[in-house]
Amino acid sequence: MSELFPRKQIIGFVFSLVLTAAALAVYFLKLSFAQGMVVLVVTAFVQALLQLVVFMHAGESEDKWVIYGKVFFMIAMALITVFGTLLIFLWDM
Amino acid sequence: MEFFERFAIPNPSLAIYASMVAIGLTVVAIIAGLTYFKKWGYLWREWLTTVDHKRIGIMYLLSALIMLFRGGVDAIMLRAQLAVPDNKLLDPQHYNEVFSTHGVIMVMFMAMPFIFAFMNYVVPLQIGARDVAFPRLNALSFWLFFFGAMLFNISFVIGGSPDAGWTSYFPLAGNDFSQHVGTNYYMIAIQISGIGSLMTGINMITTIMKMRAPGMTLMKMPMFTWSVLVTNLIIVTVFPVITVALAMGTMDRLFGTHFFATTNGGMDMLWANLFWVWGHPEVYILILPAFGIYSEIISTFAGRNLYGYKSMVASMVIISALSCMVWAHHFFTMGQGAVANSFFSITTMMIAVPTGVKIFNWLFTLWKGKIRFTVPMLYSLGFIPLFVIGGMTGVMLAMSAADYQYHNTMFLVAHFHNTIIPGVVFAMLAGLTYYWPKMFGFMLNERIGKWSFWTLTIGFCLAFFPMYITGLDGQARRMYTYSEATGYGPLNMVSFVGAGVMAISFALIVYNVYYSVRYSPRNIGADPWDARSLEWATHTPVPEYNFAVEPQVASSEGFWDAKKKGHALFPGKVEKIHMPNNSGVPFIMGAIFFVLGFSLVFSLWIPAILSLIGILACMALRSFEQDHGRYISVKEIEETETKLRGAK
Amino acid sequence: MKVDHSLPLEYGTKQNGLNIFGFWVFLAAEIMLFATLFTSYFTLEHRTGSGPSGTEIFEIAPVIIETLLLLTSSFTIGLGVHAMRLGRKKAMMTFFVITLLLGLGFLGFEIDEFITYIHDGATLQTSAFTAMLMTTLGTHGLHVTFGLFWGTAILLQVKKRGLTPETANKSFIFSLYWHFLDVVWIFIFSFIYLKGMM
Repeated sequence: MSELFPRKQIIGFVFSLVLTAAALAVYFLKLSFAQGMVVLVVTAFVQALLQLVVFMHAGESEDKWVIYGKVFFMIAMALITVFGTLLIFLWDM
Repeated sequence: MEFFERFAIPNPSLAIYASMVAIGLTVVAIIAGLTYFKKWGYLWREWLTTVDHKRIGIMYLLSALIMLFRGGVDAIMLRAQLAVPDNKLLDPQHYNEVFSTHGVIMVMFMAMPFIFAFMNYVVPLQIGARDVAFPRLNALSFWLFFFGAMLFNISFVIGGSPDAGWTSYFPLAGNDFSQHVGTNYYMIAIQISGIGSLMTGINMITTIMKMRAPGMTLMKMPMFTWSVLVTNLIIVTVFPVITVALAMGTMDRLFGTHFFATTNGGMDMLWANLFWVWGHPEVYILILPAFGIYSEIISTFAGRNLYGYKSMVASMVIISALSCMVWAHHFFTMGQGAVANSFFSITTMMIAVPTGVKIFNWLFTLWKGKIRFTVPMLYSLGFIPLFVIGGMTGVMLAMSAADYQYHNTMFLVAHFHNTIIPGVVFAMLAGLTYYWPKMFGFMLNERIGKWSFWTLTIGFCLAFFPMYITGLDGQARRMYTYSEATGYGPLNMVSFVGAGVMAISFALIVYNVYYSVRYSPRNIGADPWDARSLEWATHTPVPEYNFAVEPQVASSEGFWDAKKKGHALFPGKVEKIHMPNNSGVPFIMGAIFFVLGFSLVFSLWIPAILSLIGILACMALRSFEQDHGRYISVKEIEETETKLRGAK
Repeated sequence: MKVDHSLPLEYGTKQNGLNIFGFWVFLAAEIMLFATLFTSYFTLEHRTGSGPSGTEIFEIAPVIIETLLLLTSSFTIGLGVHAMRLGRKKAMMTFFVITLLLGLGFLGFEIDEFITYIHDGATLQTSAFTAMLMTTLGTHGLHVTFGLFWGTAILLQVKKRGLTPETANKSFIFSLYWHFLDVVWIFIFSFIYLKGMM
């Protein structure tokens, strides 16, 4: 039975629960907007990375670097789109 | 009767009624012809159900050519209307419809399938693969594009054409200002073909990354394959953006949401923003494969290897990244502040640097080369100076402060036609002439081809250079007429003459096809141009398995090495080859998407839901189906090989 | 079909490798799809018109439950893939069933949430903000719904045909999809709900 529950995945799951709890602190501890955003950005991106590496096995095949490259390129493009648009509409309108 | 009223044309004219009759007659003629010559089975077995990348490529090519003529007729109508001041040829509504469909068709349904045609046909051959990674998905991509294009094209006889420009800016494209269903067609037809493009992107990236011949590392890929890889990277990046934007636009029009409305918090500028987040990279999706084709042609006909391979690759990668950071230069005048404008201004100007690197590389490839002035080479040589002019005016437009003067004038129209026609259209015609013998087994006539090159180039200069001047003088784009007092008349007449000369050129291309089908010699061998890369190493016509033995390469010019340096290109021996089976499901799914799109355009919810279920059913069918493909036996391969070698 | 036994079953054939690679490219495209939704959401977030704002309609309890359900389902499908690699068909199917049930639970809460919004006067037509909120959540929800059907189809195939290179490949790709939906939800949870309630 225990072979069905590998350590790595259980640690990953516990860690993701901890990250979620940390993010919830933003709500329950009534942090300021700036502090809250820092916490949220950190927890969300760490959580995403955790899923990518631990659960999605992104690094296991021969295409490891192509897959990482592709995903990080896309995240970069996504951030450019989000922040570029915010620059146009919110910060410099 | 009330039910059918929605399908009526809101602004009918004699030309539209004539088109209806023509379309009806053509459909009847096609059906009768197919029945009379008993070609239904052939059509279904060999084309509609095919998953062969070469046949799909040819179908893309045919569709693109048909759409080129549809869009070209639109262009002639536009220029004819503007030829003289206060012209009454088209009324304002028709003028709006014509320029909107001209733009959409030329970008989405002409240029896109044209580059997909070459991608599909050439890339697997160039990398020594048997097919693309997902042949059936490839067929689905094609049929989604095809039925998307058909849906868009029927708009002018059923329900009315879109009339808010190819950019379809809100609030003009909203229900208040575009009341008939034209803009619905725009939103849904582009959505359907866009999904197809996204699938092609996934397919091509996988093919190029995973299916290259042994020995072909990334830096040993032919330049066209590199350009296709980078292009598809951009496709996968930006097509999801237009998917979302179109979905939001569709919801605004069909479900009464307020994303892009001017009331209830809506923001019309968000549409412009999302549209150009996709739209600007889209023009690089068109131009990069064109660059790839020029690279192949210039190095073939200069008799030299491509100068600066690494800098070519690096500049394309830089262009692809920069292309996603410049979108706001399309709306410098929208009201955002100087910081945002400066940022986008600078990134835009930066694109000129890698593009300049490429131009110099082509020039250095020509340097000391033994240049053969064939038709493809003429197009490539014409491209360089003309594209530089287009690029330079692009840098002018990139300056946000100065853009307040150019914005929405004919200057802009001249600029982007100056990049797209010598950039993309020349490349497509060059590629068409260059790859024609590989596709069809005979060459296009060179003499007629040269005539069409010169008429096209001269016509182009006559048609678009005057617009730079009228644009700087203040002639606005998308205005259906102008008064005599403005003084734009003579130059617009010159443009009209230029458009006529371009029309002659396209007629010559058609005549060339006809002439060459009849008179061109058929025994041209597999390598009529003395070319350099792998696609020329297999037979003409290409057998369905492409290469009997997997090629083994040591440089980006494997075939040249084999011809001149004694490199052993096919060291292995023939083994049985695994091929995918044909399938009718992609075609059927495409057809159901067409019904879905049509139902959504007219808000017919019951057929829409039924066709959605049909699509899901097709997907479920595919999931449960067990299809392991088939094998071509060694005996069969050897027979084909002997036959094709004899034909040489 | 040549099967390479030195690799896990789902990578066993050449086509399997292509499928997994292609699906990663698809997921990259999905990143951009959701990024566009987030872009639009951040732009329209405070454009509430005459409708309610986020602070007025968000409730923390259902959001926490939805998050826990989806996080757990991401964990169980990870266990499912692990069991599949051990060749334990039954255990693998059990984990997949649990995953799908958790997904169904998530969907139930999300539908309830939507009903509450509509009850609170926040419909698709109310304002740009409500429409964008519902579109973003709805796109994720539709992905989950599609995933439920897809996962069920794969389960049926595993049940009927056992763990073959084909079914293992499909199951693995499905697990990628499911984990990805969890990642998207983390961003919705952080930057729509928590940011909105802050």
